[in-house]
Amino acid sequence: MNLLQQVLNGLVMGHAYALVAIGWTLLLGVARLVNFGHGQMYMLGAFVTWWAVVKAGVPYALAVPIAMACGALLGAGMQRVMLRATFEQNLVSIMIMTLGFGYVIHGAAALVFGSTGQILDTALSRQEITLGELWITAQDLAIVVATIAVFLGLRWLLDGTRIGRLVRMVAEDPKLAQLSGVDVRRVYYGVFAFEGAAVAFAAGMVAPRTPILTSMGFDEVIMTFVVVVFGGIGSVKGSYVAGVALGLFTALFGALVSPAYTTAAAFLALIALLVLRPGGLSAGAAGGVH
Amino acid sequence: MSLDASKPGGGPSAGPLPSRPAIPPGDRATYPSHEGPILRVRQLQASYAGNLALDLTALDLAAGEVVGVVGANGAGKSTLVNALLGWSRGAPRLAGQVELGGVRIDAWPTHQRVRAGLLLVPEGKLVFAQMNVEENLSRSQEPPTEPGRHLYSRDEVYDLFPRLKERRQHLGAQLSGGERQMLGIGRALMMGPKALLLDEPSIGLAPKLVDQVLQTLRTLASAGLAILLVEQNVRAAMEVVDRLVLIERGRMVLEGPAQTVGNDPRIAEAYLGATAGAHPTP
Repeated sequence: MNLLQQVLNGLVMGHAYALVAIGWTLLLGVARLVNFGHGQMYMLGAFVTWWAVVKAGVPYALAVPIAMACGALLGAGMQRVMLRATFEQNLVSIMIMTLGFGYVIHGAAALVFGSTGQILDTALSRQEITLGELWITAQDLAIVVATIAVFLGLRWLLDGTRIGRLVRMVAEDPKLAQLSGVDVRRVYYGVFAFEGAAVAFAAGMVAPRTPILTSMGFDEVIMTFVVVVFGGIGSVKGSYVAGVALGLFTALFGALVSPAYTTAAAFLALIALLVLRPGGLSAGAAGGVH
Repeated sequence: MSLDASKPGGGPSAGPLPSRPAIPPGDRATYPSHEGPILRVRQLQASYAGNLALDLTALDLAAGEVVGVVGANGAGKSTLVNALLGWSRGAPRLAGQVELGGVRIDAWPTHQRVRAGLLLVPEGKLVFAQMNVEENLSRSQEPPTEPGRHLYSRDEVYDLFPRLKERRQHLGAQLSGGERQMLGIGRALMMGPKALLLDEPSIGLAPKLVDQVLQTLRTLASAGLAILLVEQNVRAAMEVVDRLVLIERGRMVLEGPAQTVGNDPRIAEAYLGATAGAHPTP
């Protein structure tokens, strides 16, 4: 395997990391919420997409929106339960509750979808694109394009729209936002629904690359955590850069050193970064979402 | 924010009150035009962990009137204005009756009271530091249009505070204390207040700026706005208020026209004597 192919793989993987993390970036920036159920929500998104395609015969292009709708509903439902703790910023309770939700989702999914591995096969993942010695699937290309589109879209939403301004107001100071007439509760529901839809979208896009299992989710939540913290909490641009950097790092470390120690090495790098720049890559801007 | 909702009206003297709607009105709602005070407060109580911090029997605020609320640190002045909005950075238990323009609002969430026209310029952090002046002066929501309610435009705010126009591209974090105060007031005006509550707008400002801010309030009141002004700087407040309310340990102990109350020994000695010549310096 040549180095260029590894860089290409790293780029695809990096965009996938960034896409999986985007919902949490917003959630953390706006509502200061960590969602340890994030990985299981990813798993659920993958299985709903798989179920819609394989069992219900829905075309893939429609299966992904269905998974997103389920994800948004699940996110809003979780926020309903945690609303009081969110307003009180009771972070320990929220961590435990999201962790609990993760296990519940896992259990429910195992019950419904079984515990055997499945393959989410899409027309795109069967299409290969070769460029000289380099090789990716059309699905990989779609991941990169979709990630860039989602990040640009989110930036535009935050900077250029009224909704985005409300979100930034709540992110900076929910109490002051109330005094400006903002229904903070609704914004909290909105960002958690976005988190659910975004991770389901990511699952629908990324899951076709690997076999899917109802027990998966741990890797996704850990990698997301790394990306979100690496990028600087609440930073949309930061988490994109961090995701791509992590993808490249993982691919190159795996190829040049050893794939077995990649996660450990990534965390070493994260710890070093946090020592040098406690606010992550985009340190400087204080709090909020940007 | 659970308030006593069992008593409808509570025996109003000026005709039957409209019964309190079960749900806050949506964006399109209009209010009946209302005679009498814009803001009517009865039996308002706030307590922290069982300790009563505020116990206010009655307070009325009429259109065009500036009422000053004075009292020592911790007397409950901020608790009062916060309780009117059901808002706090802490979490007090509230009870009592608050009417805005004849409509009971005490069971509504804060943002609905704001949209209905009760605006607070809080003490401390009062602008969004990561947004520029122009963005700070953007409405979160279009308030309902009603007769007699004026929604200030951004340009009107700039006319009132030309300094903000010069600084319109600066972030909230880059503004001076006086500019923040202006921006806080400007933001409130853009929501079309029926009653404007200000918590210590003069704190940390140079005397000249204090005068400017207070004079602006006077101007706004003469245009019909009802203003409740919490002020430590009693001497400066006396210049602009119509009525003065003294609060001690959460209770109103004195109320009356500024001149009369100003001569009361409880005010003269404790506040005017002690604060004479002691304007805060920047």
